[in-house]
Amino acid sequence: MRGVIKTVLIGLAVLGLVFSYGSFAKAENPKVIKLGCAISFTGGKSRSGKLYRDAYDMAVEKINKSGGVKVGKDTYIFKIIYYDDKSDPTESSRLVEKLITQDKVNFLLGPYSSGITIPDSLVAMRYKIPMIEGGGASGKIFSRGNKYIFGTLPPASQYFKSTLEMLKTFKPVPKTIAILYADDKFDVSVGQGTKKLAEKMGFKVVLFEKYAEGATDFNSILTKIKSLNAEVVLLAGHTEESLNFTQQAKELNVCPKMISMTVGPSEADFRKSLGKDAEYIYGVASWSTQMNFKGYLFKDTQEFVKLFKEKFNYDPDYHNASGIACVAVFKDAIERAGTLDPEKVRDAIAATSLDTIYGHVEFSPNGQIKGTSVVLQILGGEVIQVYPNGVKKPVYPVPCWKDRK
Amino acid sequence: MILQIIINGILKGGLYALMAIGMSLIWGVMDIINIAHGSFIMLGAFTTYWLFTLFGIDPFLSLVASMTVLFILGYAVQKYLINLVIRASAFITLILAFGIEIFINNSALVMWTADVRKVKVPYGAANFSIGNFVTVPTVRLLAFLLVIIISIILFYILNKTNLGRSIRATSQDLDAARLVGVDVARTYAVTFGLGVGAAGAAGTLWAILFPISPMMGGILTLKSFVVVIIGGLGNMLGPLIGGLTLGVTEALGSNWFGSTYENLISFTILVLVLIIRPQGILGGTE
Repeated sequence: MRGVIKTVLIGLAVLGLVFSYGSFAKAENPKVIKLGCAISFTGGKSRSGKLYRDAYDMAVEKINKSGGVKVGKDTYIFKIIYYDDKSDPTESSRLVEKLITQDKVNFLLGPYSSGITIPDSLVAMRYKIPMIEGGGASGKIFSRGNKYIFGTLPPASQYFKSTLEMLKTFKPVPKTIAILYADDKFDVSVGQGTKKLAEKMGFKVVLFEKYAEGATDFNSILTKIKSLNAEVVLLAGHTEESLNFTQQAKELNVCPKMISMTVGPSEADFRKSLGKDAEYIYGVASWSTQMNFKGYLFKDTQEFVKLFKEKFNYDPDYHNASGIACVAVFKDAIERAGTLDPEKVRDAIAATSLDTIYGHVEFSPNGQIKGTSVVLQILGGEVIQVYPNGVKKPVYPVPCWKDRK
Repeated sequence: MILQIIINGILKGGLYALMAIGMSLIWGVMDIINIAHGSFIMLGAFTTYWLFTLFGIDPFLSLVASMTVLFILGYAVQKYLINLVIRASAFITLILAFGIEIFINNSALVMWTADVRKVKVPYGAANFSIGNFVTVPTVRLLAFLLVIIISIILFYILNKTNLGRSIRATSQDLDAARLVGVDVARTYAVTFGLGVGAAGAAGTLWAILFPISPMMGGILTLKSFVVVIIGGLGNMLGPLIGGLTLGVTEALGSNWFGSTYENLISFTILVLVLIIRPQGILGGTE
């Protein structure tokens, strides 16, 4: 028995030597900037997590292929170290700590969802390592005086602002609005922000209701919407809830003049799952494939959309674009700082003014991007930007379920 | 509006009942709390999804397929896994079931990714109206009728066939059953198969009504658990009563207090039942 243990130990030691040699050899040439990222590979957030990973990978690959990152006289390449946070905030913050203390990453890329970003950003703050994230928009991430967190999604409370502005252009202007939101941090911010905005703009919020994250049954909410006669329904939730809501609205024949959803309509899954019933659903996003911005890593938005589609075989949505922007901001900020010192890079990120395929990136003093969202509508099976600068005119009021072909 | 809400609740309660029948059966006969129950429902849902997507088989027809597949799976799981530890303490079977759950969920995640999928049937959202106020979704009504049919079939199997007699005998007195020549191991396997098969049926109906994904099982296990407790063990009507109670209370409750409290309501009922009538509404004395 002792002999076996000895052999195993020696074996392990040899293995350790081999691996450490490998890492020594890699460390020198070319020089590497390590980006750490704990994000969902499995669990409920894994779908959206993948959108960010694809974007981060694509941006890093592009940078490394086209000259790397210039820091002073040296050239570096980016390398991302990933861990699977299993869609669990506690696990995620533990992994971020591991990335900083054990893997000694230089900088951090964010996870997906506001709920996970909050604890992660606090770890970043504790170790004073800047984190740029593209997957959390709740105001709670940015209201803690955390100097080390930067976000590329516009503030949750302003998500429906452009939608409400668009409603004002309709004739007649709808009067009654129902606001529904899931009880997670991001959607609560959206719900409360939207209510405030809507009331300020003179709409009557007839139903303001919170539901449990992951809810499958919207029958009672739909029954209320029908009996309160809400003309416009704004829903802040997640893909599955958006799917359930739409399907059950049809089952119960509830047809408001407009339904808009924060998450769902811009995703290919949503349209595939609902087929024709997805038609006319409105959505909001910080970005759409129909925009055209001059890029930093890519020539412009359209070139990015084309390359992305070739590489991953699906249409990019705002999650992907937001992820690209995170990596682009890091490259730009590190080059301007001319050093890998976390403090100096942090200051450079705060002073960012960069054109990317995602739009112009500039951060507010609290670290969140200055920007707003656009209104989308599914028309003819495609996601079309309808406001502002719409590619097509929005269809309003939308035909009732029974009157559709 | 109140009438509409009650109808919504009853139809949803039917689905809860079907989810819980299998769990109640396994629990009642073998004293196994099948934590993996929701995962089996998920597998039933995916069976239906794939049969529909790949071969265009109508979900209501695939009901037979998903029940058969899940019956075989359940039979095998009991025969080759759970029977090995059935004599050990309840904790061991609980842990084993928990392990099976993790294994099934993560295998499904690897095979099918976490994508949310939907069975798109043309009649998916069909409905009809009664008067001006009440709209009844047709598929939910059909699902409700199926639940009753499946309950009756199970009731028949348990009460009128030799198989059912041996299942009941085993659950009442293990040693006596063995003395009169019941093959206990086989009876257990068949019972588990039946329970899991019922979960498969619930999965099929779930897939017609809601989007599905590999991680959907957890909350379904919890709901089934609540329904079983409310209805009480050892009675085929238990799950039906429990399901309807839960469905209607949830519907009314989320109307009065807001939808975010739906789960709060379910578990409040659970706690109340445990305090006031621990054996469940229809449960016998133990």
